[in-house]
Amino acid sequence: MDIGAVLETAILQFIGFNACYYAIAAIGLNVQFGYAGLLNFGQAGFMAAGAYGLGQTVQIFEISLWWGLLIGIGYATFLGLLMGVPTLRLRSDYLAIVTIASAEIVRLVVRSVKFRGQFGGTDGLTGFARAYQQVGVDLGLDLAGQYGFWIFTFSGRNLWNLIVGWTLVAIFGTIVWLLMRSPWGRVLKAIREDEDAVRSLGKNVYSYKMQALILGGVIGSFAGMMLALGNATVQPDNFSRDLTFFVLTGLVLGGVAKVTGSIVGPMLFWFIYSFLDSFLRQLIDKPVRIGDFTLIQSTDVGVVVFMIMGVLLVLLMVYRPQGLFGNRKEMAFEGR
Amino acid sequence: MAALGVIVGTGWSTASAQDVSIQAQVKDQQRDANGRVDNQPVPGVTITVLDASGAEVGTAVTDDKGIALIPVPSRGTYTVRIDESTLPDDKALSSETPAEQVISEDTFVTSKRIVNFFTGENQRESTSGFERVAQRLTDGIRLGLIIAMCSVGLSLIFGTTGLTNFAHGELVTFGAMVAYFFNDLGLHILIAGPLAIVAGGLFGYSADRFAFARFRKRGIGLISQMVITLGMSIALKNFFLWRFGGRDKPYLNYTNQVGTEIGPITITPRDLIVTILAIVVLLSVALTLQYTRLGKATRAVSDNADLASSTGIDSAKVIRIIWVAGGALAAMGGVFRGLDEQVSWDMGTSLLFLMFAGITLGGLGSAYGALVGGFVVGVLVEISTLLGVPTELKTAPALLILILILLVRPQGILGRAQRVG
Repeated sequence: MDIGAVLETAILQFIGFNACYYAIAAIGLNVQFGYAGLLNFGQAGFMAAGAYGLGQTVQIFEISLWWGLLIGIGYATFLGLLMGVPTLRLRSDYLAIVTIASAEIVRLVVRSVKFRGQFGGTDGLTGFARAYQQVGVDLGLDLAGQYGFWIFTFSGRNLWNLIVGWTLVAIFGTIVWLLMRSPWGRVLKAIREDEDAVRSLGKNVYSYKMQALILGGVIGSFAGMMLALGNATVQPDNFSRDLTFFVLTGLVLGGVAKVTGSIVGPMLFWFIYSFLDSFLRQLIDKPVRIGDFTLIQSTDVGVVVFMIMGVLLVLLMVYRPQGLFGNRKEMAFEGR
Repeated sequence: MAALGVIVGTGWSTASAQDVSIQAQVKDQQRDANGRVDNQPVPGVTITVLDASGAEVGTAVTDDKGIALIPVPSRGTYTVRIDESTLPDDKALSSETPAEQVISEDTFVTSKRIVNFFTGENQRESTSGFERVAQRLTDGIRLGLIIAMCSVGLSLIFGTTGLTNFAHGELVTFGAMVAYFFNDLGLHILIAGPLAIVAGGLFGYSADRFAFARFRKRGIGLISQMVITLGMSIALKNFFLWRFGGRDKPYLNYTNQVGTEIGPITITPRDLIVTILAIVVLLSVALTLQYTRLGKATRAVSDNADLASSTGIDSAKVIRIIWVAGGALAAMGGVFRGLDEQVSWDMGTSLLFLMFAGITLGGLGSAYGALVGGFVVGVLVEISTLLGVPTELKTAPALLILILILLVRPQGILGRAQRVG
């Protein structure tokens, strides 16, 4: 057992690309779930909106990559309206149902044979990231080179992804932090605590909720864009229901209604995930059998780790719903 | 680096050069008893492969599986020709596959390139419009009944406790899995099925006893509980994937049944019995809710838990019973679904969204709403494929229903107009 190697992978995941786009998604989700109390269980749908908006530019529309930012934001706004208009006047669980369903439909549509011409089917979209990588080259990075020290050695390509990704995390983190200190943010938090009280003060609750849903969704779409740019490809099955749940797990781990929570949580999520994954992989180098019954073999590890992460979410919600940084009072809101 | 690339590259191409082949498959397009496309192999047909210059590379005759394997020297452009005179007298090549098919080098995805020749009419279009509607309607009714059965628990749990249980789909999968487990051990599905239903009831019981009842006691909020169900859904789904594997598997009994024609539709005895059983079960659920003490108590708690408690109804007990019954019904739905399609680790998850559409349509929390709404959604989903919705997207119209009903009548068909916002 090489605990050093296990820790090394885990630490690299802590600051790695996965943690970074999860953090962007979680910052967005936090606006909806943490501050406004909106149950968006379809963040993967918003991420897909952003990723496909970018991906479509070069391959489908044959325009410059950078138009994709606008297209992605447009898609995310449309999706937010589609989810919000029917549900935001109703009890909060309706939004939960509609978001979870919409995200799933988005995934089915983009991977379908029918819309292959628009979204590339199961092959996804590729060939759009060159302009993005060129910016890194122009700034003096050698994409094939090696940078860093000690265990923190990255290829130029990875380093560029990390720089852009964590910059976005910082930007969106600051924006949300500032917004939540503003009057707008205070109204949002008040809506979470008592919708009727806010309504009686003459605020248009519906409009505020809609703004929060769309803002969170647009930030989520940037997470999708980052994922697309980092991998230089858009794959429909990246945007499964599990993605939403794991972003949520990360957010809860860090603590809802806290910007630090939404950033550190996803980092911790990836630390724990990759620690368990490489730990179990080292432990189970040959199948563990009881008689004829195979308990676990190395190919099962990925699935078992996901299972453990699910259990982790349950335990967190039961024993420490405020996560690492959260305030228990801010978690006590009720959806009805 | 470059040198390594060359070595690896050459090594790879010599290895592949030995194994490259063209596999021609000749199939007769038919339908099975369920009306699904079921192509039959055509043996004894001569297939010839020509290279780009027109020289013959190889020739072979299709075997019992309708397959002719012809090795070729390397990936490249070839013409695959079927000798139409060797086809059986009553078969003719379909217009969709010409007698000569040209394949190019880049279509060799693996070292074996498969080329299909079809005889007979394309079955997907040959049946009459009326028959297609009738057949779809039968499938839709079956799906609708299964959805209704699965979602009774979901709706009643919501009605009595306010909890939206996102792990309810896993209860469905659980039932199908337990039945598969016993079936695989050698028990007939007629025994394994009821065992699974009992297990589903027990599962529901423990979910309430050891989890949700305690959460309510601890004062954990509904939203937190909702997130907990998400975690449970991830955990259970991956547990199923771990223990069951990623492939779909059928039950051992009643797999290859020949359908009988009843009027315009063809249905296997299995599907017919599933349909009848489902109707009987759902009717008894409805009658229980309407006429028994327990049913009345359930509806009372569902309407207003506090008021029900104050009239002397033990709402904790009613909730426990709903969890047991809901778990058992979901498990039964899972077994039926497993018989209808196959057992897979994510079968419940894919039904969950249809269940939500159904109970929202019927009226979230309403006792009969789940029955009516689930049924309607199932039928509509199947019918939608007739209106040009591709099969892979057939759940999408359910989202449309969901959104429309929320816009027009958020309390659902059977829900009473009350404050839902």
